[in-house]
Amino acid sequence: MPSSRLSQVGAVLTKTYGVLILAVLAQATGNVFLSKGMKYIGSSNPISEGGVVSIACQAVSSPMIWMGVALSIIFYILFATALSWSDLSFVLPVISFEVVLNVAFGAWLLNEGVSSKRWIGTLLIAIGIFLVLRSEGRRVETGGGGKGTSEDLGR
Amino acid sequence: MKTAIMIAVIVFADSAHDVFLTKGMKQVGEVSTLKLRELLRVARRVLRNRNFLTGFMFTAVYFFAFLAVLSWADLSFVFPATSLVYVVSTLGAKFILKEMVTFQRWAGILFVCLGVALTSLS
Repeated sequence: MPSSRLSQVGAVLTKTYGVLILAVLAQATGNVFLSKGMKYIGSSNPISEGGVVSIACQAVSSPMIWMGVALSIIFYILFATALSWSDLSFVLPVISFEVVLNVAFGAWLLNEGVSSKRWIGTLLIAIGIFLVLRSEGRRVETGGGGKGTSEDLGR
Repeated sequence: MKTAIMIAVIVFADSAHDVFLTKGMKQVGEVSTLKLRELLRVARRVLRNRNFLTGFMFTAVYFFAFLAVLSWADLSFVFPATSLVYVVSTLGAKFILKEMVTFQRWAGILFVCLGVALTSLS
């Protein structure tokens, strides 16, 4: 493979991985903020006492909830951006790494219990993402470029 | 039966969102700038794109179907079942978006689907 082609492949993969890593981090951190914000509201204002409207008002005025919503919007923008040049069949499974981070952040930052079933699930996701990443690396190297349609590969 | 139909609606709506969003973003073109003015121009094009808006509409269908099914079914059953979206979206990517999905990628997606289902089981 010529060196210019190699650097092109490297640039495409770096850009894609960079955007997807940021997207996954934004979503997982956003979920922590949303979870923390809603748990705080729930603990200080039980539904039976304050009512759903009161909880909704508190959620709207909570900086944690706003932070969570902002990060979710950033995730969606990055997800859509990655789809502007990458395959859906690549981006979707890679984005699921968010589930692994959710479990890890839940255990470390929110002190949630993690069952063995969940750890096995995260392991399966990691294996799945590894396989998808390998398939993408091969496809780009063999000439799929940034778009991955069958037509691009002359099929 | 009612739950199965609603799960099918949820999975279909989520997958349709993925496929329409991808189609819309491909029509808008590769986002490869960090200049604010350019990004705003891209954002305007995205918000006027029919496929993007259709995808967004399917998100609303997904959301309300999800809320509805939770009113009678357990989250611990509904959430793992909706992980089927990985498989259905990939079928959409292959047959509607004409993406090349290799055997290795299919295997990876099945692992992810099983993993997500397992992590969301209570």
